Amino acid sequence: MFGVSYLRFIALGAALVFVFSHCEKAPESPAYEPYPETKLDANGGAWKTYVLTSGSEIAVPAPKPPTSAEYLAELADLKQYMANTTSEQKRLARWWGGNAVLRWHEIARELAAEYNVPPNYNPDGKTYPEPDPNNPSKYPRFPFANPPYTARALALLSVAQYDALVAAWHAKFQYKRLAPYKYDPAITPLIPANDLPSYPSEDAVVAVASRELLKLLFPAEKEYLDRLAEEHIQSRLWAGANVKSDLDAGRALGQAVANRVLAYAKSDGMAQAGDQSKMDSIRADAARRGIKEQWHSLDIPERPAMLPLFGCVKTWNFDEATKIALRPPMPPMPGSPEYERDLNELRYISKNRTREQFRIAAYWADGPGSYTPPGHWNRRAAELIYEKQFNELRSARAMALVNTALHDAGVTCWDVKYHYMIMRPTEADRSVKTSTSIPNFPAYTSGHSTFSAAAAEVLSYLFPDHASDLQSMAREASLSRIYGCLHYRFDCEVGLEAGKKVAYYAIQRGRTDGSQ
Amino acid sequence: MLSRGQWCVMTQYVHDHWTHYWEGSTKRSNLNLGTVTVQSIAVGLNYALANRLNLIAMLPYVWTYSSASYLDGQRGVQDLSLWIKYQLFEVKASLGEFRLQATGGLSTPVSNYVADYMPLNIGLQSRTASLRIIANFTQGKGLYFTAQAGHTWRSNITVDRDAFLFHNQLYYTRRMPVPNLFDASARIGFINARWQVEAQLSYFTCTSGDDIRYNEMPQPTNKMRATAASVFVKHFLWRGLALQAAYGHVLSGRNLGQSNTLSGGISYLFQMRHE
Repeated sequence: MFGVSYLRFIALGAALVFVFSHCEKAPESPAYEPYPETKLDANGGAWKTYVLTSGSEIAVPAPKPPTSAEYLAELADLKQYMANTTSEQKRLARWWGGNAVLRWHEIARELAAEYNVPPNYNPDGKTYPEPDPNNPSKYPRFPFANPPYTARALALLSVAQYDALVAAWHAKFQYKRLAPYKYDPAITPLIPANDLPSYPSEDAVVAVASRELLKLLFPAEKEYLDRLAEEHIQSRLWAGANVKSDLDAGRALGQAVANRVLAYAKSDGMAQAGDQSKMDSIRADAARRGIKEQWHSLDIPERPAMLPLFGCVKTWNFDEATKIALRPPMPPMPGSPEYERDLNELRYISKNRTREQFRIAAYWADGPGSYTPPGHWNRRAAELIYEKQFNELRSARAMALVNTALHDAGVTCWDVKYHYMIMRPTEADRSVKTSTSIPNFPAYTSGHSTFSAAAAEVLSYLFPDHASDLQSMAREASLSRIYGCLHYRFDCEVGLEAGKKVAYYAIQRGRTDGSQ
Repeated sequence: MLSRGQWCVMTQYVHDHWTHYWEGSTKRSNLNLGTVTVQSIAVGLNYALANRLNLIAMLPYVWTYSSASYLDGQRGVQDLSLWIKYQLFEVKASLGEFRLQATGGLSTPVSNYVADYMPLNIGLQSRTASLRIIANFTQGKGLYFTAQAGHTWRSNITVDRDAFLFHNQLYYTRRMPVPNLFDASARIGFINARWQVEAQLSYFTCTSGDDIRYNEMPQPTNKMRATAASVFVKHFLWRGLALQAAYGHVLSGRNLGQSNTLSGGISYLFQMRHE
């Protein structure tokens, strides 16, 4: 016998159980911790708005003075409220108390990821059902939060947040009512104190504006969003950061601004963007331009083209004529040496894809079930804002600049895609195998490249000390589409250039919006 | 179980394919996937350190293919597995022999293959540890019955993306949870000097995890479960040389393909001279 006893065997088993039972099966995300907002941007009420004519457009009624009986009663109520706060409510006070703008973008990215699923084909194996905005919970749920949808959604969300906060800042520094803990030393807030006037509450403004926009964009989530917004607003009482009248004024202002942005959203052209009846004329126009071998859906069964008229949706930072002027020239055609060179590159990668190329393609793929490329850059923006500890208004400005640029990038890119109708490399040569799913729209120009360059440029303007890593991220995102064999190199290079041009208009706006 | 001084080398080819799969508990097929085929060639070694203690090692090379999708199939050396198998006790009676054995195993990936690429991945990149208990009764004329149950702990993995949905919640991390496994099986068979035939009913389930979302790709976090039936035949040809073949079919499952698995192998048993 070898001298192994039962005991030793059992000890080995126990050691294995010990080691492996400590493997946590729940993933962990980084948390946004509350931070003190030191730079107040007292002139923020004068910053340039997107949909509102100005921050003073919507009048906010004057609050009761801090010495009034009404206000003193509110302070007493707040203390009572705080005394009865549960530990869960205290946790939520800090969860919402970090950066409300970023928190609502996080919620939006999660919704985008959840709704980013292309509908399955019908049982006939020939057709696809279409999401119905009037019946959003019925399969296939509305929306299909694909990249253009998500780009537009994030832009609308950040514009509503930003305009609402400019209006809030205007009223805050008009009335200069401070936070309750400034008047009553018995109130110890659960989040860092600051000197920002608290009427109307910036949190209530952000909560209501975000809720209203997200309800339009994700209508099946109404109850969930109502619950979140209410929790957010109540959390300000649990935190000791606002009295009820701060919150009520914020609610009213948030709603009024949201109504303006909702009206904009309902007439920006998105409702027509999926119209398939225009595909014949789109193909005929492309043929007239000399595009003989045109794009077709590679899905089985052939899937209706993704948002063929998204290129007609209103842009934020430039007009229709500029969009048309931004259209790049025709790409190289099949048969030309330039085209064959770029297709040969993909044939080679398809057969010899390295692990590193695979990693890069997968990291930037942001395909179905993800927050899409605009969501990826939205997240990067949020990380940088958090790192720099911007106040709510400056956070919303940064988000609006980045997200409107992403939206404009999406519109211009989609305009080009359906202008030229260039087929994907795999349609040109079926032996070109991809390492991630093939998107259901034409190749030229690369959406990833356009989105990434636009976002990286705007973020480099906002965070110049990160410019070099942002630029290399955009280049990598662009190359990832070559490594994955989703795009020809010319799609990517022209897309990067187009994204930079789009970003220029957002940066111009940023330089002249009064925030300097 | 080999006796001291014996060792056995084997190589096995496995061909696994499926067209239908379960998305959560809903069975479906997918025109954009067609039939998924996973093949492997494995080399294995079983060495008897002592009469009651065997050491087993296995290393497969795996390659995948989908008939309809444009996604590139994967290929590569997968995970190295090591087990020790220990005979806890053996009772010989007039009716037959009863044995109780336990195995403890470890496995680790040996190449940097892509895990988060289901269903065309070649493995999960998870390091595992397993414990298994095996009870066998062999009657005097060669009829036998075996029942076993085991648990496999699987480490979380690092994937290429840094955000993913898990239980419909978005996580911002590259660390992806891989659920642990419980498995059990029952086998009935016959063995003599020339032949071994066997029928098996097996079951495994992940002890946690989420479902594949509707019309989405699977991912390593999914809670898989399967009940499968299989038959196995082994022919002892000449001296230590044996050929074996098996066929298995998944009867019901969750979050995995309805596999049809055909395998064939060749093994050679060496008898060392005792000193």
